Amino acid sequence: MNAFFASVEQQSNPELRGKPIAVIGAAKRTVITTCSYEARAFGVKTGMNSWEAKKLCPQLIFVVGNNRKYAYTSKQIFAIMREFTPLVEAFSIDEAFLDVTGSLALFGTPEEISNSIKARIREEFGLTCSVGIAPNKLLAKLASDMQKPDGLTVIDPKHIPQVMERLPIRDLCGIGAKTYQKLAKLGIRTCGELGRFPIEVLTRQFGITGEKLHRMGLGLDETPVVPAEEAEEVKSVGHSTTLDHDITDREEIRRYLLQLSEMVGRRARKYGVAGKTVTLTVRYADFTTFDRQESLPAHLNNSEEIYRRAVKILEGVELIQPVRLLGVKISNLRQHTEQLPLFPAERKKALLANAMDQVNNRFGDFSVTFGSLLGNEGGAKVISPAWRPEGLRNVDVD
Amino acid sequence: MQRLAEKVKVAAVFAPGCQVKPVWFEWRRQKHAITEVSYFWTDTLGWATRLHFAVSNGCNLFELSFDSATQNWTLEGIELP
Repeated sequence: MNAFFASVEQQSNPELRGKPIAVIGAAKRTVITTCSYEARAFGVKTGMNSWEAKKLCPQLIFVVGNNRKYAYTSKQIFAIMREFTPLVEAFSIDEAFLDVTGSLALFGTPEEISNSIKARIREEFGLTCSVGIAPNKLLAKLASDMQKPDGLTVIDPKHIPQVMERLPIRDLCGIGAKTYQKLAKLGIRTCGELGRFPIEVLTRQFGITGEKLHRMGLGLDETPVVPAEEAEEVKSVGHSTTLDHDITDREEIRRYLLQLSEMVGRRARKYGVAGKTVTLTVRYADFTTFDRQESLPAHLNNSEEIYRRAVKILEGVELIQPVRLLGVKISNLRQHTEQLPLFPAERKKALLANAMDQVNNRFGDFSVTFGSLLGNEGGAKVISPAWRPEGLRNVDVD
Repeated sequence: MQRLAEKVKVAAVFAPGCQVKPVWFEWRRQKHAITEVSYFWTDTLGWATRLHFAVSNGCNLFELSFDSATQNWTLEGIELP
């Protein structure tokens, strides 16, 4: 999708159409989540502070994002795509790979299918998207980025060598800043150079990724399009939040940890999984981030237990700066079948969690919660990049 | 958008295919005819599905919501110029 959140806001509010707008989070301290093409023309970018953006574009209009609106739109668009093929892999809230090989007899050429999907999205939501058609996911993603907004780019298998020859390696999905720097040190700037570079040297530098990089340079990618129901099991359940202001008070930190633990526990119980490892993530004011984890004797998904473990980890950490972000995660997951504990105290806890879940399922999350969480509604309320339209990563958004 | 969260009286057309179209709403003793529904989305709160509408009366943009469980219409907010 093109400037997805901003385009949704421009469709919602016709007054915003054709104007430079930036979508921001609901928290006091927030950055630009995305911005319209009109704003991009002034140099406004995702991740900028609002004052930086305003300096570049004084007439910029800030709109507080509505994650529920975006989540709904995303789910509907994925449903449209699944009408054309069951092989739809969500890459993010607004990006997907479709394998239409088996749909050609039903719906026409890849270009015809793309145009049909684009027309449906435009008709139902007034939104535009850019489509890339190619023989594999690597090149399809590359093609989709070549023409924005509202593009349709085809990379014909015959033309792959010409396309790759002068293409900067940075344009390839999967080559991040660190890999780029390492490749640049080897004198590799274009995909053509990457494809010709001795594979032994790449393997020495990057391990098994070296061979993958070599193949990427040639425009080769065999990874299949994997729909959610066939995707690998999710390895962890976690939540994090950027705080309204940097905090040092441990009591306040513990309150956020309780809120995050409840969110983790709720989601884990909803999907019937439990974790054997609890991880605490802390980001300091200067963006230094670290994780500390603890493995447990048994799998758990009780919010209170997760919280106690997270607090125990926190107690072993000397905080040397104010805290900007906190995260709690359980990993080492396994399917968890409901079994009431034997001992009365444990049994009470399980029954209490179950009763709370039932009330919250009926009336909405946090309808019944821990007393110390009342009034604790801070946090950035920004949709996670890991959000997916279905499965364990389909987190209820605020 | 200025959040209001006020229960309001709404006239709507419920068409086949689960299509709901608000036609007018009464707010602060004034009837507002809806000239455009510019966006529609749904969300859930517990068991309840809520339908949300971004609507215009030709002058202002409003957000209306319909709670399927309580059958209440709420004026969620108004976009001030």
